[in-house]
Amino acid sequence: MTLEAELAAAIEAAARGVPPPDFEPWALRVFAHQFEHNAPYRAFCVRRGVTPATVARWEDVPAVPSVAFRQVDLACGPPEAVFVTSGTTNRAARGRHLVPHLALYRCSALASFARFVLPDGVRLPCLAFVPPPALRPASSLVQMCVWVGEALASSIEWMIGERGLETERLLARLAAAEASGEALLLVGVTAAFAELFAACRTRGRGFRLGPASRVVDTGGQKGTTRPLSRPAFLSECWTLLGIPGYYCINEYGMTELCSQRYDSALDDRFHGRSLAPRRLAGPPWLRTRVLDPDTLAPVAPGATGLLCHHDLANAGSVSVVLTEDLGRAAGDDGIAVLGRVPGATPRGCGLLLADLEPR
Amino acid sequence: MNAETSAALLARLGAAVDARARLRRRPLGDTVAALAAAAARWRDDPALRAELPAAARLSPAMIAAVVPIAAEALDAVTMTKLIERTWGAGAARRPAPDGPALVAHVVASNVPALALPAIALGCLAGAAVLVKSGRDDPLSAPAFQRALAAVDAQLAATIVTTYWPGGDVAQEDAVLGRAEVVVATGGDATLAALAERLGDRLVAHGPRWSVAVIGRGARDAAAALALDVALHDQRGCLSPHAVYVAGEARGFAERLAAALEAVAERLPPGTASIEARAQARFLAAQAEWAAGATVLQGAGGTVIHEGEAAFRPTCGLRTVRVHPLADLRVFPDLLPTGQVECVGVAGADPTPLVAALRARGVSRVCPVGRMQRPPLSWPRGQRAPLFARRAEPLLEVER
Repeated sequence: MTLEAELAAAIEAAARGVPPPDFEPWALRVFAHQFEHNAPYRAFCVRRGVTPATVARWEDVPAVPSVAFRQVDLACGPPEAVFVTSGTTNRAARGRHLVPHLALYRCSALASFARFVLPDGVRLPCLAFVPPPALRPASSLVQMCVWVGEALASSIEWMIGERGLETERLLARLAAAEASGEALLLVGVTAAFAELFAACRTRGRGFRLGPASRVVDTGGQKGTTRPLSRPAFLSECWTLLGIPGYYCINEYGMTELCSQRYDSALDDRFHGRSLAPRRLAGPPWLRTRVLDPDTLAPVAPGATGLLCHHDLANAGSVSVVLTEDLGRAAGDDGIAVLGRVPGATPRGCGLLLADLEPR
Repeated sequence: MNAETSAALLARLGAAVDARARLRRRPLGDTVAALAAAAARWRDDPALRAELPAAARLSPAMIAAVVPIAAEALDAVTMTKLIERTWGAGAARRPAPDGPALVAHVVASNVPALALPAIALGCLAGAAVLVKSGRDDPLSAPAFQRALAAVDAQLAATIVTTYWPGGDVAQEDAVLGRAEVVVATGGDATLAALAERLGDRLVAHGPRWSVAVIGRGARDAAAALALDVALHDQRGCLSPHAVYVAGEARGFAERLAAALEAVAERLPPGTASIEARAQARFLAAQAEWAAGATVLQGAGGTVIHEGEAAFRPTCGLRTVRVHPLADLRVFPDLLPTGQVECVGVAGADPTPLVAALRARGVSRVCPVGRMQRPPLSWPRGQRAPLFARRAEPLLEVER
């Protein structure tokens, strides 16, 4: 069994309640694997004088800056899929994440989605506010939605077409759900939700979707024509869709990562922690450190720094990714994202809608 | 910093314009002498030296280095040469010719003490002067006015120093509307908004950078260039962001990195925001992963040696790109038009390059090591410093 397959099995077992993979031993194993099989990463580590023999702690595994994914292919073997970041107009400058073991991405993504979005185990019809895979085959978010539709929803309908959000079809679908009392799972980019809210406002239309309906949005303000604060977003979900705030879950993910973080609200609510502050929590195989940009040492608790993710599910490429996101630690297990480094290339799934310009 | 009301500020401006009228018959030589004496007093102002590092976010050692440079620019000989070059021989014995009654300066605060040349040029033009300080240096302008008041109270009465937060359109309209000339430094959006309201009364200075070129005849320009980079923590438009090297560029990059380390021991960097530091981290990371680039990073700054020749400004924080240059003659072609203010030169005669650099918008050519020491006569933005309208763009060469 390959290391990736072994790890996928451990993650799947964790989703069934078995203790999760022990992070540090796995981190060191994965690093040794990547050092051996990923030549550009090995060269990067050697330049820093770091080899598997010198790394004793998971925190010492060298972090690759996310910009590296725009310059070289970082993979430990032939890819089963290549995901490309959205956003920059220079398509050649987009980041590429080569994933040699797609099943590992699938099991990690689904385990976290199930835990943070569907802790009650309900299966709902999913309306995806992202383009279908035929339109965006290289989007890691679209791929995740496909898997959600297959494994965690009762059905999936794609609400974005070649020309963007299919507003009239969506409004009709929401009206039908409201009439039948059907609960829906609405998943997609924040910009598409903002467009839906604007359409509702223009038409003076609102919906009361069935109980247990929920929203999963991602991508933040990127691609929105009118910025919407988080409280305003939650308010619109309640006012225009009838979905309360604790059923509205923000997702934080990156093309370069196979694991994601989610707003902790629903997980907390189902586990008796309703008073816990909202934060972006993740699975046990994803750890995030907040680092000083100069020294790459951890900042003081609660201070702002660069977010550096260590994702074991990235075993097939590079596990430690230094992002261009600024954030801080929140609670024992979470983070808060505060923004992007000024001048960083616009990117992210929030720009999936903007990407639908004619090519 | 409390912003005063428009009415109160307008009253002060009225008094300054009246004070200017009372000095209209005074020979400019008296103004030159007063400005030079005030600069010397300002340079030694202990309160300024104590408070400016925190306000400007520069290290105390850096402030101790740049304050004398700012004061030296107000040298009596240089000022006299400037007015005589502008208005002819004997200009120091005559009053300033008719010109604007009130000149307003909206100065940036990326570099401290920008108020000094602003005030001096306004006074030499025979105008009353309004200086709206930048957020990070509200100290230099009032300190200079105090120094001037100690040596020439009548001239000091023609100056108004103030501060209001950027973007206060009502204040801008009320106050700047009173001036015949408004000299403003800022971002493109800010300047565009001002241009819409002020029309041709506005002299706008947008974001600009500087570069250096090292000819084959240079012995070792690395130490001098490192000082140009480090002064003001590379925040000014005269700070070099790129250096083009005819000859062994990689070796020069290594010497420059070592020289930056040495300068940083004498002139430690000031505090920088986490956003700025993160930008520097990613610029270096991008270069490290790019094909054919080498990153030399240390406590003194970052040197990026890269094959690509196109000029791209860095994020600052003492970060410089070193590009190989096959032929000195093509150097001006590598610069974008209207973005480069100053070219520092070592080991080459700049004369054959001057016409092409002028066409690119360069306003100053000087030896490496002198880039941060512009004289008061520097035609910033290729414009005449004393507001004379000139058809041709200006470029000053210091040898």
